[in-house]
Amino acid sequence: MKFVCSVCGYVYDDDAQKVKFETLPDDWTCPLCGAPKALFNKEENVTKPEAAPVEVMDEDVTELSFGQLAALCSNLARGCRKQYKEEEARQFDELADYFTKIVRPINDTTVEKLAESLKADLESYPALRATCDSEKDRGAARVCVWGEKVTRMLESLVSRYLKEGDRMAEGTSIWVCSVCGFVYIGDKAPDLCPVCKVPAWKFDKVEGR
Amino acid sequence: MEKVAVRNIRLCTKDCLCLYVCPTGASDTENSIIDVNKCTGCGLCADACPSGAISLVPKEYPPQQPKTDKVKAALNRMAQNKADEEKLAETVAENSESDVLYRLMKAVSKSQRLVAEDLMREAGYMLPQSKNTHDLLKDLAKNPSTADAANKLLSMIECNESKPKKWVCEICGYVHEGDNPPEQCPVCFQKVFKEE
Repeated sequence: MKFVCSVCGYVYDDDAQKVKFETLPDDWTCPLCGAPKALFNKEENVTKPEAAPVEVMDEDVTELSFGQLAALCSNLARGCRKQYKEEEARQFDELADYFTKIVRPINDTTVEKLAESLKADLESYPALRATCDSEKDRGAARVCVWGEKVTRMLESLVSRYLKEGDRMAEGTSIWVCSVCGFVYIGDKAPDLCPVCKVPAWKFDKVEGR
Repeated sequence: MEKVAVRNIRLCTKDCLCLYVCPTGASDTENSIIDVNKCTGCGLCADACPSGAISLVPKEYPPQQPKTDKVKAALNRMAQNKADEEKLAETVAENSESDVLYRLMKAVSKSQRLVAEDLMREAGYMLPQSKNTHDLLKDLAKNPSTADAANKLLSMIECNESKPKKWVCEICGYVHEGDNPPEQCPVCFQKVFKEE
């Protein structure tokens, strides 16, 4: 029997290992990306998302929220830097900072609420992916694959925090892949990002206060 | 297509062959950024560089891939969720007394911004030079808080998508914008159009 990590695709092959997957301890984690055992699926259970079409929003799609505008502008700043346009990048950064500051406050700010919200995203991703596929938009489909994996990892980390509290990352570091947003807990960043495959130097260490 | 050389400083091993081969001295800058005003796009430096640190990029970028309304709406919706989660995690971090929770929430906030960035990019805002970006900047120029940056950007970045074709009715002078002339003129009902 083979078991596949739903974040990075690592395969645990029972026949090649001394220990059967089922008998691994509950706190066992993926050797590649650190995902918990619960995020592994039996190989035959790894199914493609169903083509459930998503209805088009009623609102005018060009009316963007402050949060969307913040991400849009910080991404265009990256786009400018890639083209070696530093001054243009600074202006887009300025716009992104402005929109980030004016995002409306959120009422219920608890870790539980965040975990729920991430779970809801995971339920929405298959339909989003199906829309991209049915519109034959490969670029959009790719960011959905990355985004879903990153969200899966975040949801498992936030749920773990709710169970274990501070001991889940005491005395060790938290890393964010600066390309896809994958989050990893460990003393050293992974050699390759398990989601988007960039090298370790593309990871940023999250500093404390 | 006109091109210009760019250097990836991460890959540069300071072999300096670019200095030897560049006919205009565009690569001899102190900050390692190739001088676009001097670079002629000849490509000699890229060919000579033993580390593959120099590449040639076009001066004018092609129009970005078109996006359908369905894809845009679906991506925008997920981007909104990601923006909400960023704000939520940021707020939890600010209010937290635990160092681990602070770092974890900062990581979530940063991560969700990156995911939202990807979504917004695919929702039609890939290139700073695109018409979408220009239209957005024109809107932002109307708002006093964003006008300064938006106007600067509009003056610095040229739009890479050609203006729509204009078709003039030869009878009454009515102007139609689009790839093709209309079936008939909505004003005088004649069918003779000339591209402007």
